[in-house]
Amino acid sequence: MMFGRLLWKLLRSNRGRLAVALVAVISGSAVVSALLTVQLDISRKLTQEFRLLGPNIVISAKNSGQNMKLEGGHLALRPAEDQTNASGASLAAMAPFFYTVARVSGTPVIVSGTWLDQLPRLNPTWRIQGDWIADHDGNGHSLIGRKVAQQFGAVPGSDLELETGERHAVLRISGVIDSGTAEDNQIFADLPTAWRLANDPNAVTLIQLNVTGSSAAIGAYAGHLEASMPDFNVHPVRAVTDAEGNLLNRTRLLIVSMILLIMALTALCVLATMTALATERRADVGLMKALGGTITRIVGLFLAELGVLGAVGGVIGCFGGVALAEWIGRRVFGAAIAPRWEIFPLTIALMVVVAMAGALPLQALGKVKPAVILRGE
Amino acid sequence: MGALVQIENLRKEFGNVRALDGVSFDVQAGEWIAIMGPSGSGKTTLINILGGLDTPTSGQALVDGVDVARLDEGGLARFRAEKIGFVFQQFHLVRYLTALENVMLAQYFHSTTSESEAREALTRVGLADRVTHLPGQLSGGEQQRVAVARALINSPKLILADEPTGNLDEANEKIVLKLLQELHDEGHTIIMVTHAPSIGELADRRIDLAHGRLAAEHVARRA
Repeated sequence: MMFGRLLWKLLRSNRGRLAVALVAVISGSAVVSALLTVQLDISRKLTQEFRLLGPNIVISAKNSGQNMKLEGGHLALRPAEDQTNASGASLAAMAPFFYTVARVSGTPVIVSGTWLDQLPRLNPTWRIQGDWIADHDGNGHSLIGRKVAQQFGAVPGSDLELETGERHAVLRISGVIDSGTAEDNQIFADLPTAWRLANDPNAVTLIQLNVTGSSAAIGAYAGHLEASMPDFNVHPVRAVTDAEGNLLNRTRLLIVSMILLIMALTALCVLATMTALATERRADVGLMKALGGTITRIVGLFLAELGVLGAVGGVIGCFGGVALAEWIGRRVFGAAIAPRWEIFPLTIALMVVVAMAGALPLQALGKVKPAVILRGE
Repeated sequence: MGALVQIENLRKEFGNVRALDGVSFDVQAGEWIAIMGPSGSGKTTLINILGGLDTPTSGQALVDGVDVARLDEGGLARFRAEKIGFVFQQFHLVRYLTALENVMLAQYFHSTTSESEAREALTRVGLADRVTHLPGQLSGGEQQRVAVARALINSPKLILADEPTGNLDEANEKIVLKLLQELHDEGHTIIMVTHAPSIGELADRRIDLAHGRLAAEHVARRA
């Protein structure tokens, strides 16, 4: 009771100086909680960013240059879907590809037979003029690359006639794709049309997968998949998964370094405030000692004061951190980062620890001689 | 009544300066002693040693059977809380605590606090209407009366008053001395440092110090 009363009076009597330390703790807490929130969310955000880069796992035949056979249609790819549970990864998109060459007005063009509805999910950065196709086989519709469209003057809604010797097909163009890559030179048709043009039913050159999850989860997924599909080669696209892992590690290191730096700066600010307060409180400490107060009991009061400072600053700062994390999310990732309430106790505990650094100058109070203080020296 | 305070061959040196040089005397329980002497004669040093605020270089200072020189930091704190009530010339109140809280502060370091007892103590020194005032809102005399209430609150064995009226005007001096007289009449043991002979005469016995030595001892005529 009296302890609380004394604590309240201590806080009130030095509110000017303590306000400076409180602002430092609030600021530190806001930045630390925001960074911790970003840290916890960074894996998901980076995964989302890297999934924009396109497929990150490719399945091909054991013998290079040979096609696989997609016997049983979609069922043959069931392992790819089943393995997501085991690895913690998530299959965002998957499509088999069969490449052949056909002629348009006598000019050879690569025809890529695939599940047409999967293209925008496999390649989120591709732009389209016209419409994407909503089902695997497209019902006679196709997509063509930008350069092919320019070459043959094709536009969405127009028809394109493909031929390979005696076989030919007429495709209605649904959209023109701008990929910024070699795919701009291709025609994307449904698989049965490509098989018919090549006279090679059920042939598949490769299967592309866009898998979400951490680089470790994707690696595990690829491993499980390879074990369950022994007749195929499963290649994680290392450039993407490794870059993701490296960036994630570096970002985490940067965030942890910044958190430590912010904590050190906050502690310094509290330390400076408490150094000044310790000097001012020498007379009070001398008197309290004269009245029978032990240094443990007296310093306990000041430590409680620091604890309150850290806890109050930590709580207020955490709410500021929610707003800051949301702002960082929008500015850096283009999407808000959801508050992570579990970091509140951690941040508050860190701020209490930081505030306790201000107790260092209080050590000097242990040496205060009441007789000297009471003489007015 | 037996001796509450027994001082024997007490010495205190600060570097080359000898503040106390073989002082010996006893104080009986319930006695009021005035320590007098010029500045630098060792009065305050003697009071500080008796109050456990300082330790002697050699000699013995027994207060209620406790040898102050043998106590460690924790023991001295306990000794001050339980056996001594201080009244200082500069009042020494905590500026951000009310009169009531200043009195309760002594209770807090002694054992448990009782607001009603603290109010009673302030009422006794005539400050019933000033309990919620901060020291800065009180006159010098009122502040000293808060200090007296604080000194009394734990029923100490010994009240040590170092120039208790040194900073007071005549009217407040009378009030504080009247309070000390009442405490003495109730049986409290008081050792008071003063420069003023007129105040020294109020005590049962007057001890004069000079250059850290006991120069003279006078028993009041009325005693």
